[in-house]
Amino acid sequence: MLSIISLSLFGILNLFLGFLKSRRVLLPATLLFIALAFAANLLDWNHQYVYFRDMLRTNNLFINFSSIILLTTFLTVAISRSFGTDEEHTHPAEYYAIMLFSVVGALMMVGFENLIMLFIGLEILSVSLYVLTGSDKRSLRSNEAALKYFLMGSFATGIFLFGIALVYGATGSFNLSAIGSYVSGGPTTGISPLLYVGLLFILAGMLFKVSAAPFHFWTPDVYDGAPTLFTAFMSTVVKTAGFAALYRLLTVSFTGVYGLWWQVLTGVTVLTLLVGNITAVYQSSVKRMLAYSSVSHAGYLLIAVAAKTPQSPSAILFYSLAYSIATITGFAVLILVAEQKPIEGRPDERYEAFNGLAKRNPLLAFSLAVSMVSLAGIPLTAGFWGKFFVFSTAVDRGMTNMGMVLVVAVLMSVVGVYYYFRVIIASYLKTGDSEPIGIRPLYRFILVLTTALTIGLGLFPDVVRQLF
Amino acid sequence: MSLLLLIPLLPLIGFLINGIGFRKIPKTLVGLIGAGTVVASFACVLFLFLNFDGQPRVEKVYDWITVGNLNLSFSFQLDQLSLLFMLIITGVGSLIHLYSIGYMKHDEGFGKFFAFLNLFIFFMLLLVMGSNYVILFIGWEGVGLCSYLLIGFWNKNANYGDAARKAFIMNRIGDLGYLLAVFLILTNFGSVEFTDVFRQAAGLKAGNSTILWITLLLFVGAMGKSAQIPLYTWLPDAMAGPTPVSALIHAATMVTAGIYMIVRSNLLYTLAPVTLEVVGWIGLATALLGASIGLFQNDIKKILAYSTVSQLGYMFMGLGVAAYTPAAFHVMTHAFFKALLFLGAGSVIHAMSNEQDIRNMGGLRKALPITFLTFLIGTIAIAGIPPFAGFFSKDEILLHVFEHNKLMWGIGVFTSMLTSFYMFRLLFLVFFGNFRGTHEQQHHLHESPLTMTLPLMALALLSAIGGFFNVPEVLGGGAKLANFLAPLFAAAQNVRPEAFAMAELSHSTELALMIGSVAVAMIGLAAAYVIFISRKTVPVGEGQEHGLQKVIYHKYYVDELYDAVFVRPVNALSVFFHQVIDFLLIDLLVEGVGKFVKGLSKEFRLAQTGATGFYIFAMVIGIAALLAWSLRGLILG
Repeated sequence: MLSIISLSLFGILNLFLGFLKSRRVLLPATLLFIALAFAANLLDWNHQYVYFRDMLRTNNLFINFSSIILLTTFLTVAISRSFGTDEEHTHPAEYYAIMLFSVVGALMMVGFENLIMLFIGLEILSVSLYVLTGSDKRSLRSNEAALKYFLMGSFATGIFLFGIALVYGATGSFNLSAIGSYVSGGPTTGISPLLYVGLLFILAGMLFKVSAAPFHFWTPDVYDGAPTLFTAFMSTVVKTAGFAALYRLLTVSFTGVYGLWWQVLTGVTVLTLLVGNITAVYQSSVKRMLAYSSVSHAGYLLIAVAAKTPQSPSAILFYSLAYSIATITGFAVLILVAEQKPIEGRPDERYEAFNGLAKRNPLLAFSLAVSMVSLAGIPLTAGFWGKFFVFSTAVDRGMTNMGMVLVVAVLMSVVGVYYYFRVIIASYLKTGDSEPIGIRPLYRFILVLTTALTIGLGLFPDVVRQLF
Repeated sequence: MSLLLLIPLLPLIGFLINGIGFRKIPKTLVGLIGAGTVVASFACVLFLFLNFDGQPRVEKVYDWITVGNLNLSFSFQLDQLSLLFMLIITGVGSLIHLYSIGYMKHDEGFGKFFAFLNLFIFFMLLLVMGSNYVILFIGWEGVGLCSYLLIGFWNKNANYGDAARKAFIMNRIGDLGYLLAVFLILTNFGSVEFTDVFRQAAGLKAGNSTILWITLLLFVGAMGKSAQIPLYTWLPDAMAGPTPVSALIHAATMVTAGIYMIVRSNLLYTLAPVTLEVVGWIGLATALLGASIGLFQNDIKKILAYSTVSQLGYMFMGLGVAAYTPAAFHVMTHAFFKALLFLGAGSVIHAMSNEQDIRNMGGLRKALPITFLTFLIGTIAIAGIPPFAGFFSKDEILLHVFEHNKLMWGIGVFTSMLTSFYMFRLLFLVFFGNFRGTHEQQHHLHESPLTMTLPLMALALLSAIGGFFNVPEVLGGGAKLANFLAPLFAAAQNVRPEAFAMAELSHSTELALMIGSVAVAMIGLAAAYVIFISRKTVPVGEGQEHGLQKVIYHKYYVDELYDAVFVRPVNALSVFFHQVIDFLLIDLLVEGVGKFVKGLSKEFRLAQTGATGFYIFAMVIGIAALLAWSLRGLILG
């Protein structure tokens, strides 16, 4: 809880820092703020608190999820450099502040105890992201992406809100436990059909946020158009928060109608896996490929939600962690490589830009390779264990229920190897003619750190599993 | 930290330092670290040995793998057998490290060499210290790896690389047998810990078929590592490595791993009389084969290599008749004199500017007096002439063999004569007569530096007196080693006493047998003397051999046979798989799937039109579909 309050204050403080002449203080200050929030967050370990008349609840699961979110944010902020070429029209202080605010939204999504809080958290997160997506004001792509995201996001929010209203109509409460006891206790008249429709609408809204098919269409366009740094932020923080919220909502309130949403989720999972992975194959831009990869990972995470076993939260946590770290590494390398040789003023995000990377920047090539291998789920990296734990939840649930999903998931992992390895092949086996890229110490440190984490978690997954 | 843990750790540290820093660390320091760690390790072993109270103990380092019911711990066993081997490994190892400082002084790969040697010592120690079959296997594989690295140490020569690969492959074949045996042990006993396995096995009857399979498969592993028929051909080729390597790995330590393993598993072997019979006869055949090939070789190291094959055969013959102590005893004495002989040969090669052909040597005793004297001692020891070390150990094996089977004994004694002959042939050709090399070589002749001769002298001393560690009762000795090792075989003796029962040979028979074998050795010596000193014969040149001599010189064409029977068919099969199965079947299938997915991707991609209206439309359709499908029950009533 302290983390939510402190981050809100820090965000405002950040805005004031923007008045300073020098911008150099901003990055360290923001990093410090996030680190402080992270520490504050840990204070509540092994305690259960309920705040504001059952609005928010913090427990170890909350701390785990919010730690991952804060870590991801820290890494993303650490790799932020200049924002666009046009120094005069950028406002780093505001971007950092907005990022901090969006994290506040994300944390509320993790700890909500009341549907209203979920809605507010979601909106804080989304509105912040609409702004960040359009932060590159002079870029048409960025503007288009922001507008698209806003339009579709509003639409999804509308449906989501409608769903909440319907659930309220059926149960007479916004409180998670109250809804839960209505659903499982079963009123004498039977569960109202309004609740079913409401649940489905809420689901549709949430699935939109985590970019599951067929609500994923915004993802490639928005991810592609947004400045790469914010793409990295969106594809990790939103995903973690979204899945935390989805899992919490479904297990606390709607366990009683598992039969209903389980079917919906498995269907969506299969579709998401197919669409995400197969479409990624044909992309020529690494950034777009990573966007589709983000869709496909939503599919894998959905498996753990749909399986709903006692191991599910831990699987989702581990998967989110592995996915976030690897994705940030991937985007971090992409930012550097793409900006080296812009084509017509735009960063070159094609696969070809990576040619010969291993020769000129071994560190970049290696971190990229490790992150891709992790995303592909190959052993000795964190991604492998993420997939392993997720698949185990499905196996625990039973092959009759989840067999089909598992088969698709495994097959699609193979397809994943194809497009992830294209980047590795380009950087290691092809020759390029570019100069080595200069990397700042902090940036280099973050790359080394994320790579080490990916390998470290791949070798000793139990180190963090004990906490989850 | 316990001393026991320190023993393998020290060489490992040496390996890490030299292995990581071999480009930067100066040579003197490399030598100091390399030899120093092993000497320190030896000191630890010695300390443990002197304070050993006769009670075996197992020390767990950590739980290594815990999966389901399988629980493998990384732990070390300290008992009589592991102590004996640790003494040999670190003791002889120290001397050889010391020797290498001088021998490899001018080599550019000095640091790398010491790193590998240290790594080898580490793995060898794991092998003999591990308290279960899996730790043993780690060491087993590790020494195989080091052997590979060191045989191919001068990897710029393609032939040496081939030799290294041959050693590796032959060993792998053996390893497969070993692995299968471990799997069998695991399924049958549910554990691979020596103590657990033997405790359970002690309750079984002799002739149990599972035990038979386990022991046979373990023996296949031993065949590979200890160069027995049919997997022996790698050992002579392994002489491509630097000479200290030949001494350490291919004579004194690694090749005895198979013997260690069988002695360690003596209970299982005692329960499988059939396997013992197989082991005995294969050992005998190997001994004879090795000795006979040694008769006509002209490369100084090749002769010693075949002699090693032959001596290992002796040890297995001993194991085959359940003479575990004499076999272990022979391992010890053999380590002394064979290391000595190899190091002596190295000294000769060093002096002769890398010449290895004994036809080009001769009369070296004046130029290399220390080498000559020590080599002489080694030769006498291996030939089995009392009172030097080889006599006692070999004779004890032969004694047990005589008990068991007279024919086996006869062939064994005959082999002993061959041994004596080819060893003295080597000695006479190298150190006596006239110098037959080039002028340049003669000019260069010099005795080796002290770092090389000192180990020679130490080993010569051990070869001379090593036999007294286990003097049989008939000669008034106390059979110290036998008493020391006895607890190891107590369990085996319990389950099948008849395997150990020695019909009380009268002392006179025992003495007669001894005199017989000494006489035979003298015959070999005399024959060599007559041919190579009196008649001054020099072996004929390449390609001039006739008849049987030619067949033997070409090692009975076994390499060619293996090539025709195994290598070429496998190559042909590989070509078939590559060209037919791989190209026509797998590639087509894999590429087909790839193309299909790519085609699908092309279609899927088109759904991403970029029009927001379409996206929202798709979402609405999606929601509608979800509603309709999920609530079909409600809608249809």
